[in-house]
Amino acid sequence: MTSVPRLSHSAALILKALSLGYCFGLDIMEITGLPSGTVYPALRRLERDGLVESKWEPEDEATASQRPARRYYEVTRSGKTAATAATQRYPLLARLLPEKRS
Amino acid sequence: MNHIARPTLPRFERCLLTTVGRLVPVQDRDEWSRTWQAELWYMHQRSHHRHISPLAGITDLSIGLMRDALWLRTEGWRLNFSDTATLCLASLLVLSLLSSLIALVLAGSWDSLRPYLRDQWMRSVIAAPYIVLVLYATASRRHTAQRSITKWFSWVKRQFFFVVKTLQILFLAFLLSIAVCVPLHRPFPLTADLMQLFAFVLFGLIGLRWAIHDQEQRCKHCLRSLTTPARVGRPSHNLLEWNGTELSCKHGHGLLSIPEMETSWCQYSHWIDLDVSI
Repeated sequence: MTSVPRLSHSAALILKALSLGYCFGLDIMEITGLPSGTVYPALRRLERDGLVESKWEPEDEATASQRPARRYYEVTRSGKTAATAATQRYPLLARLLPEKRS
Repeated sequence: MNHIARPTLPRFERCLLTTVGRLVPVQDRDEWSRTWQAELWYMHQRSHHRHISPLAGITDLSIGLMRDALWLRTEGWRLNFSDTATLCLASLLVLSLLSSLIALVLAGSWDSLRPYLRDQWMRSVIAAPYIVLVLYATASRRHTAQRSITKWFSWVKRQFFFVVKTLQILFLAFLLSIAVCVPLHRPFPLTADLMQLFAFVLFGLIGLRWAIHDQEQRCKHCLRSLTTPARVGRPSHNLLEWNGTELSCKHGHGLLSIPEMETSWCQYSHWIDLDVSI
């Protein structure tokens, strides 16, 4: 049985934002109101712990729209479990963040 | 080869990225730079569309990229140094420095501490070999047999580390005993002298016992602490099969099997080399 990691409030907020579809660092900063000095190192920690994984947008797609490719983050299976556990631990998290409109 | 488009950024931000990028470990630097160039570019675009000053956002992102770079650097150090022999010796050194600082603060001044240190140093130097002797005479023989055939260089490295660690622990025990007894020295000089010697022996024995235990549970090749303990076998079947704990080197050099109970067919811990290339 794998144990669910206990997350800090900021990490839980970031993970929740990611699970709601905000997948870029800048988007997460804007929606959570957390400073970049918190968001980016937290994303690295979550990635190290296997709760999220990062990928690069396809370069051709970005070049075609005349913009640079960005690094985006996705919640892994264990990240989803951790996000659920974090929502139980911090019940207000679910009300803090709106779901992203596609 | 893929051509990666790099966004054009203002001069200040390019300079910032180059300067802060030096903090990032070399192997991560290119990707880190690419990530931040893209993030800064988007930051500018959003500021432009929303007609807001980009200054606040850029300042915030500058702090973010600095902290991100520092995190990558410290994480690199953590991966390189965690559980290593170097970290163990450095930690003992820091503890020794802290103990001497506490002793100095409690003594009030260096002038009042120095004669006390000098007197007790000689007694402790005489007592130290006896501590080592008693410890080895009473140490469990359980972990002394190693069936591994290790190269002489690994053996020398391991013994050298153990000798340095032992000396550092004895020195730390001495400084700790001084820190504990120095406030008593002025009102009760004889009692303080005797107590210092007792404290030195006690701290020395505890410390060296730990040193032996720590030495046994390190990789025989890289000297990192062994991790991921796993229980093997069932204690209720002790007379029928082996049971105990297995610890492994996280770099895959080997495995240490520690029996739960000493039995006639399994008295000692066994080091099993897993990396045949060493």
